[in-house]
Amino acid sequence: MSVKTEAGAAHAAGSAPTQEVVWHHRHLLDVDVLTWPEIELIMRTTDEMKGILARPIRKVPALNGRRVTTLFYEASTRTRVSFETAARNLSADVVSVSTATSSVTKGESLVDTIRTLEALGAEILVMRHSVSGAPYLAAEIFGGHVLNGGDGWHAHPTQALLDLYTMRQHLPGGDLRGRKVAIVGDILHSRVARSNVWSLTAAGADLWLCGPATLLRGMDRWATAWSGGSVPGHGRFHVTSDVDAAVRDADVVMALRIQRERMQGGLLPSLREYAARFGLNTERVSLAKPEAIVMHPGPMNEGVEISPDVATSGRAVITEQVANGVAVRMALLYLLAGAHEAAGEHEVGHEVGHAHEGPHAPEATR
Amino acid sequence: MSSQSVTSGRAKAAGPSVGEVLERFELQKAWLVDPVSGREGTGEIVVTDGILESVVWLEGEEAKGVDDKGVIVAPGFFDLHAHFREPGFEDAETVATGSAAAAHGGYTTVALMPNTSPTLDEPGVLERIRSAARAGGSPVEVLAFGAVSAGRAGEQLSAMGELADAGVIGYSDDGAPVRSPKLLRSALLYAGMLGLPVVDHAEDLELTAAAEANEGYVASVLGLAGWPAAAEVNAVSRDLAVLADARRDEPHARLHLTHLSTAASLDLVRRAKAVGLPVTCDVTPHHLALTDEWIAGARRWSWEALSAEGSSRDPWADGALTAWPYNTSLRVNPPLRTPVDAAACLAALLDGTASAVVTDHAPHTVVDKKVEFGAASNGISGIETALGLLLALVDAGRLPLARAIAALTTGPASILAAWPAVAATPAARKRGLTEGAAADLVVFDRADRWAVTEESLRSRGKNSPLIGRELSGRVLLTIAGGRLAYEDPEVGDG
Repeated sequence: MSVKTEAGAAHAAGSAPTQEVVWHHRHLLDVDVLTWPEIELIMRTTDEMKGILARPIRKVPALNGRRVTTLFYEASTRTRVSFETAARNLSADVVSVSTATSSVTKGESLVDTIRTLEALGAEILVMRHSVSGAPYLAAEIFGGHVLNGGDGWHAHPTQALLDLYTMRQHLPGGDLRGRKVAIVGDILHSRVARSNVWSLTAAGADLWLCGPATLLRGMDRWATAWSGGSVPGHGRFHVTSDVDAAVRDADVVMALRIQRERMQGGLLPSLREYAARFGLNTERVSLAKPEAIVMHPGPMNEGVEISPDVATSGRAVITEQVANGVAVRMALLYLLAGAHEAAGEHEVGHEVGHAHEGPHAPEATR
Repeated sequence: MSSQSVTSGRAKAAGPSVGEVLERFELQKAWLVDPVSGREGTGEIVVTDGILESVVWLEGEEAKGVDDKGVIVAPGFFDLHAHFREPGFEDAETVATGSAAAAHGGYTTVALMPNTSPTLDEPGVLERIRSAARAGGSPVEVLAFGAVSAGRAGEQLSAMGELADAGVIGYSDDGAPVRSPKLLRSALLYAGMLGLPVVDHAEDLELTAAAEANEGYVASVLGLAGWPAAAEVNAVSRDLAVLADARRDEPHARLHLTHLSTAASLDLVRRAKAVGLPVTCDVTPHHLALTDEWIAGARRWSWEALSAEGSSRDPWADGALTAWPYNTSLRVNPPLRTPVDAAACLAALLDGTASAVVTDHAPHTVVDKKVEFGAASNGISGIETALGLLLALVDAGRLPLARAIAALTTGPASILAAWPAVAATPAARKRGLTEGAAADLVVFDRADRWAVTEESLRSRGKNSPLIGRELSGRVLLTIAGGRLAYEDPEVGDG
């Protein structure tokens, strides 16, 4: 599969100006390292995967014989099943490790676990972990590719990319520039929100993060740091506790899950109060544009962060998100496995930091 | 070139090994720094039978060709806060390996914190540490703090009087704060009666529960649980309020606040000192030179991360992220703060609010550090890199060389001198280039950069965020109490 960028696209970071974007990332730990042309490459590759999923037999031999291991240190149904479905659709061999059945419960360290899985033949490691940054430790020692399936409060890159893909499907021309996206909920503890900050500001969206002040702590400092639009490739975004201001005239409204622990931690008075003040109900969603879509990364607490009528309304694209998640994960597995072959060897050392070498403001790329 | 002069000097020595008295050592034309007299300049020293026999200051023509950029002679350094992990955690460090690391860092005196296992809360543990020091053979002087509370559990006082009789220099529950204000009040009174201080690690444990990195921009982006500055400010505020109360009952009550890291807590101490409260404080090299953006992968010094207006720069905007993020050697308590806080630590050192630089040398094993960031133990192995970090500040023109040396010598000694029971001890009195006294000094070459590697660190703790980096000021020779503590291998070859 050879994927070309659209005419006029900016060049990939670090390479000579060319129309072709070559995937060079060994791991995908967050969307922060992706240039806009690379995000577009993922979107186009996802289009092709969607084509495969539309066929009667949803299986291609692209990753035939390649070994994908899912290592989940946190309970997750949809993300794990989505990754494993994606890997099987590409004919990869899938090994599934969960903490309940491995020696992790016997106190084995992450480093030992990774080395063991590598010795057992893992090539692509899909990892979910409750501690922020854990996949970076894994990537430091693992000889293959690490694909982050969510780490702590930090990042959930495949979720952000499937969110972006879903938004593009519903917005004219697939263009998010100037489109208002409101994410409402427990921003502080949300890896989905953090990854979406990188990808949606790269897409040029007018991003609003909204929640009770206790669940926004620290995010205002991030927003303030970016208020001058100084980070290459990314724009400013808003942080607010005024849910009506966040939702008003939005093109996309996304609710995040509220967990019961937040009450015990003294962060919220009650779920009832949260639902009343921040829950996405019909009245609140009516502040958004008439054609606005409603999203949720799941799993939902219906009646808390989203009312059942909104969740099942024609605006909701929540099941589309799930379906797109498989296609996005197929695309990323394909690109990561292909990068390995295209390069012919592992990159020397590691991809470092946030590789926005050179300007690639979204405005300039399209 | 500059190390040549040491080599020629060393050639006259008898080639002693560590722990042996230096029979004869001469150094011609080096830059001498004497923080006691406040004098620095070109000079010569002669050590005979372990005694600093002569210190000659050269003038005019004789002084030419030597400046403060080359070989420097200073009094041996004094670290008021280190962890050598013995007894109990000898896989991380021992008194012997810690002493070797200290000598490699230019230190001739160290004060150890009592969070060993068992806790240093009764004299038997102190005796174990002392016998380990004797057995190790290093001439580095090892002092120790006893615990404030039995088992550092924060409930009842340790065997404070017996510990004083056995020779501890003060009390601390370091690693954690003195748990309750009520216990702190008792400790200040009882320790004051004994002529000794309480050294507090100021942290509000409720505000830092599960915290991972300084609360702010960097932690927000990295999804790390915020460690608010308020936790330190609140604890310092509590401590000062209790001290003000306690000293009315016990005039010898003394409080020392260690490793302060925020602008606001240092300002509280500044104001408390201004109204005459008997409080002192220190800062660490890592809180002076490093900042929280290192966790994201930045590797610039704190002062390079300050804007012209004195605010923190944005490492993402600057493209300053060059290293892999979430390096657990950067996980430390208190956490690395913002460039603004680091500047406040420096300002406190320059205006005398902070009297000393201490390393909080906290070696850890790979088992405790090669784990997820949130699961890693707190601490930096820092006793060998303290000089290099301070010289980075000196090289950048942020800190005069003489102030850097004073912060490592007379600064900590002056803190001890305010504690009645230990004010007359050698550790509180020495730290000058004093003729006729036992030679206690360090010779380093500011122009000679050395690579920090796992191999070059003598400490068992390889948990240094400076691994892979070069620092100024290779230590060539450390003499403690007239005896050889450390000698650079290449110098010995000369």
